[in-house]
Amino acid sequence: MTKSFRSGNRSIEVLSGIEMCMRQGESISIRGDSGSGKTTLLNVIAGLEYPDKGKIFWGETLLSQLSASSQAKQRAVTIGMVFQAFYLIPELDAFENVMMASRILGRAGSQEKSRARELLERVGLKERLYSSTLKLSGGERQRVAVARALMNKPSLILADEPTGNLDENTGKEIIDLLMEISREETVSLILVTHNPDYAMQTQRQFLLHYGKLNINTDG
Amino acid sequence: MPWYLYLALKQLFPTGKRVSLFFIIAVCGVMLGVMLLVIVQSVMGGFGRIYRDKIIETNGHIRIETGEVMYDYENMLNFLSARKEVAAASPYAHGVVMLQHKDRPAFPAIRSIDVNGETPVVPIANYIILGGVDDLDDDSVLLSSNLASSIGAALHSTVEVYTPLIIDKLTEDEVLLPRELTVVGIYETGWEEFDSNTMIATLRLMQELYNLSSGVHGVAVRLNPGYDEEEVASMIREEILPPNETMTWLDMYAGLLWILKLEKNMQFFLLLFIVIVAAFAIANAQLLTVIRKTREIGLLGALGGQPRQLIACYCFQGLFIGVLGTLLGIIVGLIALHFRNDIIHGFAKLTNSEEWLIKFYQFAELPVYYTSSDFIAISISALILTTLAGLLPAWHAARMKPAEALRNE
Repeated sequence: MTKSFRSGNRSIEVLSGIEMCMRQGESISIRGDSGSGKTTLLNVIAGLEYPDKGKIFWGETLLSQLSASSQAKQRAVTIGMVFQAFYLIPELDAFENVMMASRILGRAGSQEKSRARELLERVGLKERLYSSTLKLSGGERQRVAVARALMNKPSLILADEPTGNLDENTGKEIIDLLMEISREETVSLILVTHNPDYAMQTQRQFLLHYGKLNINTDG
Repeated sequence: MPWYLYLALKQLFPTGKRVSLFFIIAVCGVMLGVMLLVIVQSVMGGFGRIYRDKIIETNGHIRIETGEVMYDYENMLNFLSARKEVAAASPYAHGVVMLQHKDRPAFPAIRSIDVNGETPVVPIANYIILGGVDDLDDDSVLLSSNLASSIGAALHSTVEVYTPLIIDKLTEDEVLLPRELTVVGIYETGWEEFDSNTMIATLRLMQELYNLSSGVHGVAVRLNPGYDEEEVASMIREEILPPNETMTWLDMYAGLLWILKLEKNMQFFLLLFIVIVAAFAIANAQLLTVIRKTREIGLLGALGGQPRQLIACYCFQGLFIGVLGTLLGIIVGLIALHFRNDIIHGFAKLTNSEEWLIKFYQFAELPVYYTSSDFIAISISALILTTLAGLLPAWHAARMKPAEALRNE
């Protein structure tokens, strides 16, 4: 799969000949310099951007065969996303933020509400369910984002530098949480990080360098 | 509730936070515009209604004339009296005379009324402020209040009436002396045009003054409530023979009514700009919100939200502001209308302008009349404008690609 962007008259190839496959429940990490295309790769996998060449499969489903609206629906149930900047909706409390993931699918019944509560308890926010997200610490916000990513029982979590805005201890807690959830719920995880220690916790490690995805063997 | 409506409400009423100042200002803007529209349209409607009532009270709903002197009006009266739509019909004669009291002349319009009917076409008895209609005979007249005042006539004063017949006779070398009449009543209808310069006589006296013999100038008709004057006039027109012509009060005062309608429409158009300004404020604030929330919008796209749902989210916010502003505007407008006379009299007293108010607007009290169509027109205009105000930022949000929006700094 290749992906390039235009800058004026120039075409910059960000991803070049990427080929990868993940098993259900597998965790992998991707490291790379800033601007190396890690986020672009996640966006292409999530169907938020289209590759110039190549194909993306979500399980058996070829992404390019789906219409934009089908892709959006499919993405909501297949992929959970965690971002560096959390991206919580400030007008909603923690519980409502988690519920938003299923509301978008038109599901907001008692089952979904129970799951949202369970997830928030699972990420250690039992006492902060109805707290305004503005009153939460950075670590707590990222926990809410993790719970939101898991809300629709996705088969893949894309975590784009989830510890980038957190201190070391809190960052470690979040990575531990993601790894634990990945293992226990057999959810595949792609972790984009700069931190080699976090990367080492995943089953496979990759390095994105000049648009090529290489297996990282140096740890 | 669909997520986009839920989010729209949450953005207007955030959990655990106060309602945003933007929301309050936006609702107040729409409310002020709608309130002014309600007040002005109702007052303009009230002026129109008062004019309508006064015109009908002093003219009847329909007049039938031939353009010449009508002699066989008895048949016409019989024909009209048999119709269920007609409450009363009476013959009349009208014209202009010179009136003199001592050395003070005036040139009022004079007309006859039928003082015998149980339901008079022109119920002048309701407006007598001095004297009475019962005393009116062929040697007396009723004067409007302003006319009496301008010539210095009072009850039981003797006034001299000069008719065009006197001039006709002079051309034939005959001298006809002015007719001396006693003032037996003074009336005031509250309609300046009628009160300023009119007088009323019996039909026999008018026939004598205008040398009409047994003829009249026409027949005036008052309708029973619930009938449309134009429909009835049309029905009558089909059944009477030329040269008889029917004319409704709407035809007689078409110019005045057109001006009133134009004024009302112009006021609506001008005041609508307040709502338009409010709509621009909404669009501006919403656009800033959309720009501020670019990454949230990207997130919603990443979570599976569709562009059309984002459009609905922001349009709904505009619509909601519009609905709330319109409702509050109507309520506050109706409250202001309820206390309108207290407000106006307070203001007039403060500026010492009560007399001028009556002189120029012809009514001592501020009249109000509104119909459901007034409110529908105001509400629909306000709702369309505020929803459109939400459309621009909504369109901007919907155009964002999630990946680009998430990348936004």
